[in-house]
Amino acid sequence: MSDLAKEKARLLKKRGSLSSLGSHEVRAIGKTKDSISTLSYMEEHGHHDDIQRPTVQMENTYRITPSRRFPVLTVKDLLKDVLTSYLQEEKYETELCRQMTKTITEVVKARVKDLMIPRYKIIVVISIGQIKDQNIRMGSRCLWDDNHDNFSSHIFKNNSLFAAATVFGVYFE
Amino acid sequence: MEEYHSGDEVSFNPDDASNVVKECIEGIIGGVDYSQNKVNQWTASIVEHSLTQLVKQGKPFKYIVNCAVMQKSGAGLHTANSCYWDTTTDGSCTVRWENRTMYCVVSVFAVAIAL
Repeated sequence: MSDLAKEKARLLKKRGSLSSLGSHEVRAIGKTKDSISTLSYMEEHGHHDDIQRPTVQMENTYRITPSRRFPVLTVKDLLKDVLTSYLQEEKYETELCRQMTKTITEVVKARVKDLMIPRYKIIVVISIGQIKDQNIRMGSRCLWDDNHDNFSSHIFKNNSLFAAATVFGVYFE
Repeated sequence: MEEYHSGDEVSFNPDDASNVVKECIEGIIGGVDYSQNKVNQWTASIVEHSLTQLVKQGKPFKYIVNCAVMQKSGAGLHTANSCYWDTTTDGSCTVRWENRTMYCVVSVFAVAIAL
């Protein structure tokens, strides 16, 4: 009997916390289950509210034109400087030039990144070949936005080797 | 152009592009010998046809196609590229083709556009 009384007291306390709902439930003794389901619903609702808080969706900027365009002449001077400093005194050797192409692409990419052109993706292509009385033709064609995307290229030659460098700047709107 | 789906990103497939480019090269210079008079026309045709076939795939990319046609005379040629882009969506592939008298190297770069 004492245990049952304690349980009733607990139920009464829960009803009291719900204020008006509690006062209504006091008279209708048979609705004990309903009050329990009401409590669980309240808890679930509160928990659901908590989940939504961290997911803050960023709005689109709707900017479709670049704030700063691809600087073709600046990049051309940059290519000229890099190719001249790396290849001016070199003679063609297979292993050396193999490594030199990779080094020069990384150097050019780093220096173009230092120009801080916002929202432009950069593609650097370097070709170093031997001058041995052969004929070579290189060309490129692009599918892009002609207003915002651009490229810059430079060709270096000395006695024994030639180098062709191209940098493409593609805008990401 | 492919319809945009939230959370469904399209990534570049190098193998498909490689097959497309190989077919274009075979079609244009598959059975001919090197000719200095025609090499300009060949280079232009290769990049033009490759780009056209890539566009027909209907994917949301900007494309850059490079082509180098070089006579076989024992001279060496090294090519490297370095890119600053989003690796989850952008990609590239390089096709090296040769016959008895010439080499042909084609590089394709695909850069995703935001829809």
